[in-house]
Amino acid sequence: MQVIATLTRSERQWALIILLVLFALGLALMAAGRNDPLAGHGALVMIAALAAIFAVISGYFTPEPGDERLDHYYDEPSKIGLVLAMAWAAVGMFFGVWVAALLAWPDLTFDAGWASFGRIRPVHTTGVIFGFGGNALIATSFYVMQRTSRARLPDQLSPLFVLFGYNLFCLLAVSGYMMGITQSKEYAEPEWYADIWLVVVWVVYFVIYLRTLARRNEPHIYVANWYYLAFILVVAMLHIVNNLAVPVSFGSAKSYSLFSGVQDAMTQWWYGHNAVAFFLTSGFLGMLYYYMPKRAGRPIYSYRMSIISFWGITFFYMWAGSHHLHYTALPQWVQSLGMTFSIMLLIPSWVSAGNALMTLNGAWHKVRDDAVLRFMMVAAVFYGLTTFEGSFMAIRTVNSLSHYTDWTIGHVHAGTLGWVSMITFGAIYASVPWLWKRPAMYSTQLVETHFWFAIAGTIVYVFAMWNSGIIQGLMWRTYNDSGTLAYSFVDSLIAMHPYYIARTVGGLLFLTGTLVGCYNVWMTIRTAPRTSTTGAEPALAEQPLLQPGE
Amino acid sequence: MFGFHYRLERKAIGLVLGIIFVASIGGIFEIAPLFTIHQTVEDAPNMRVYTPLELAGRNIYTREGCYACHSQMIRTLRDEVERYGPYSLAVESKYDHPMLWGSKRTGPDLARIGGKYSDEWHVAHLINPRDVVPESIMPRYNWLSHTALRTDDLSAHLRAQRAVGVPYTDEMIANAAADAAAQSAPESPLVEGLTKRYGEATTVRSFDGNPAELTEMDALIAYLQILGRLTDVATHPASAAGE
Amino acid sequence: MTVEHDTLLWLSKSIGLFYLIGLSVAVMVYVYWPSNKKRFDRAASAILHDEDRPTEGVK
Repeated sequence: MQVIATLTRSERQWALIILLVLFALGLALMAAGRNDPLAGHGALVMIAALAAIFAVISGYFTPEPGDERLDHYYDEPSKIGLVLAMAWAAVGMFFGVWVAALLAWPDLTFDAGWASFGRIRPVHTTGVIFGFGGNALIATSFYVMQRTSRARLPDQLSPLFVLFGYNLFCLLAVSGYMMGITQSKEYAEPEWYADIWLVVVWVVYFVIYLRTLARRNEPHIYVANWYYLAFILVVAMLHIVNNLAVPVSFGSAKSYSLFSGVQDAMTQWWYGHNAVAFFLTSGFLGMLYYYMPKRAGRPIYSYRMSIISFWGITFFYMWAGSHHLHYTALPQWVQSLGMTFSIMLLIPSWVSAGNALMTLNGAWHKVRDDAVLRFMMVAAVFYGLTTFEGSFMAIRTVNSLSHYTDWTIGHVHAGTLGWVSMITFGAIYASVPWLWKRPAMYSTQLVETHFWFAIAGTIVYVFAMWNSGIIQGLMWRTYNDSGTLAYSFVDSLIAMHPYYIARTVGGLLFLTGTLVGCYNVWMTIRTAPRTSTTGAEPALAEQPLLQPGE
Repeated sequence: MFGFHYRLERKAIGLVLGIIFVASIGGIFEIAPLFTIHQTVEDAPNMRVYTPLELAGRNIYTREGCYACHSQMIRTLRDEVERYGPYSLAVESKYDHPMLWGSKRTGPDLARIGGKYSDEWHVAHLINPRDVVPESIMPRYNWLSHTALRTDDLSAHLRAQRAVGVPYTDEMIANAAADAAAQSAPESPLVEGLTKRYGEATTVRSFDGNPAELTEMDALIAYLQILGRLTDVATHPASAAGE
Repeated sequence: MTVEHDTLLWLSKSIGLFYLIGLSVAVMVYVYWPSNKKRFDRAASAILHDEDRPTEGVK
């Protein structure tokens, strides 16, 4: 295990101690949950701990890294994190295509309980949001934080703990849904023990961030770190509050939320909406504010605007959650408040999107030639579009039509495919050659291919869902001449069928692009750095190589 | 004053506190008043708690992720009221830990599904939805009717529910497993205790048509049949106390 | 705890508003304070020419 060789002797000892504790925890869960699905998760934790113990022991006697390690940034966690992000992307998007197909062909469950829509839909959402997005955020945040602070990570062990601990959480979450373990809170489905584990991981993550910032050799904290920091902090707040629950017993995977009814709904959507804000927006804006200027070779258009939009986003988003509950039993004043702030949110959002696009002014020829930069540009465009759509949909009367329909799904995917995935792929394609010291990606042509698959997939998907959502919403509220409802629910279901097929195709296109990307990343890592093999790959030579410091 | 800005950017901790302060205010101002909301919303004196069988059914509902496609929240819009029934009131989900309002209607709203269809319809529909509704895209849940319901931990479930504020009595907790069995076995001598604890109106019948066995199908249908019927405050506003 | 619902509502609707205004003013002053400009410009371009190792000995 190469990564063990980067740990000092005492860190290897600490790793073993932590893993033994983890093993004991797994054992305890297994013993306490003998008659419960919890035992399965206890076993999973034990196996994970055991595998890691073996890895540490097998690398235990490799020579220690010397002090010269301090002359370099510690990039192992970023490397592993990016690979894991790509793997989760493939898995999460595969499940996405599967759940999409289930809505068109419901018997694709193969009669297995674990494969029904209700169980694998959270596998998809958790796989892509937390698996793909989360790993990408952790990996890039370590990368960006070190470079912008010009300081090395405080130690080698804790970043690895965060990375692997986080992936254990994702694994517990995803496997749990298929076993029927869920809190049923959307995007917060994992049960109490997984939630507690995430808190531990997250606290360490936060401490690493603070320790690195404290040791920085730059007077100013670069704005990307502000966004990453907001992501870490606020996600912790949201996670802890929304997951407050009382377990049935320590031997049961099931817990009951501390809140009920209207309070629970408000807490849940305060969480749900801010998960979008601080997980899917703030963190990825941090990514954007580092990788885009870097790749374009131009400083960010207006640093001041980036600060204004930072505080705007941090402030406004928190109020906007209640727009998920228009016309419900939630008091009207909370609904109005949510709507008002959702509309105001457009200002900082568009300031960010505009700032990103203006950064590219004078570098448009690079956008034309370089698919990596184009990923980032498209991400900024979709960010602008989606935030506009979001504010629009938060208006009560619009929401009365759009809520409960596929329009919401289309909106979310415009954001996640168009914005989050695009900026992430852009950042990954930029960092992989930097991290593995390669002149460029294995194939720039395949990056180009991925780009077009991703764009096509996003557009097909989003248009299918816009159409189906609006038709659905209109059919539900259409009256005939005699003043009764014109369509039964089943009528609207039949009308959705072609769109559900179209969205499956869109998802499949996007997944194909991702698989192309996985192959390309893998080949870049595997292929030894070439020393100007002219003619071996003409496409490579023709492309402008954009390196840090260009 | 500008010393403050200087510190803010010099010291990461200042930034941290700034973010926490800015971000927490929205949540506090929006959510805190909701915890005093009982002072202003309707009250339903005749509201009852879920029986152990219904609670077990509710847990199956969440386990299977039914909430991903079925909402339980009828909005105050004319077409929704005409399609699904009187709009949902806050009080109706006051014992729902967590709430299952949902966010998407791939299938219809279920807030008032209770009593709309027969048990036989539900059994057939859950075994294969397309036998009953040919166009349906719902998954089959045929294994529910031959999976025995786990009842040994129901007392612990009720105890946890009480810990979060649902008024289950000691007696209810002690008899949870027996009450669950009794509710789907109308001939059982245990029925008397069940109706004593949860009221005469409690639906007692073999939900899956097989009184000999207590299955997950029994539990899920018991839950579906009580949806929207824990209180009649939405249909008979006169019985509301506070308004 | 006997906090009245109306009290909390009033707090939300008054303090919340002043807080919003105060915050915007503070952010604007900070961002456009002339002496901060140099720092921001430096930060914006600093990321473009970093070297691939941590700076040593500055602190």
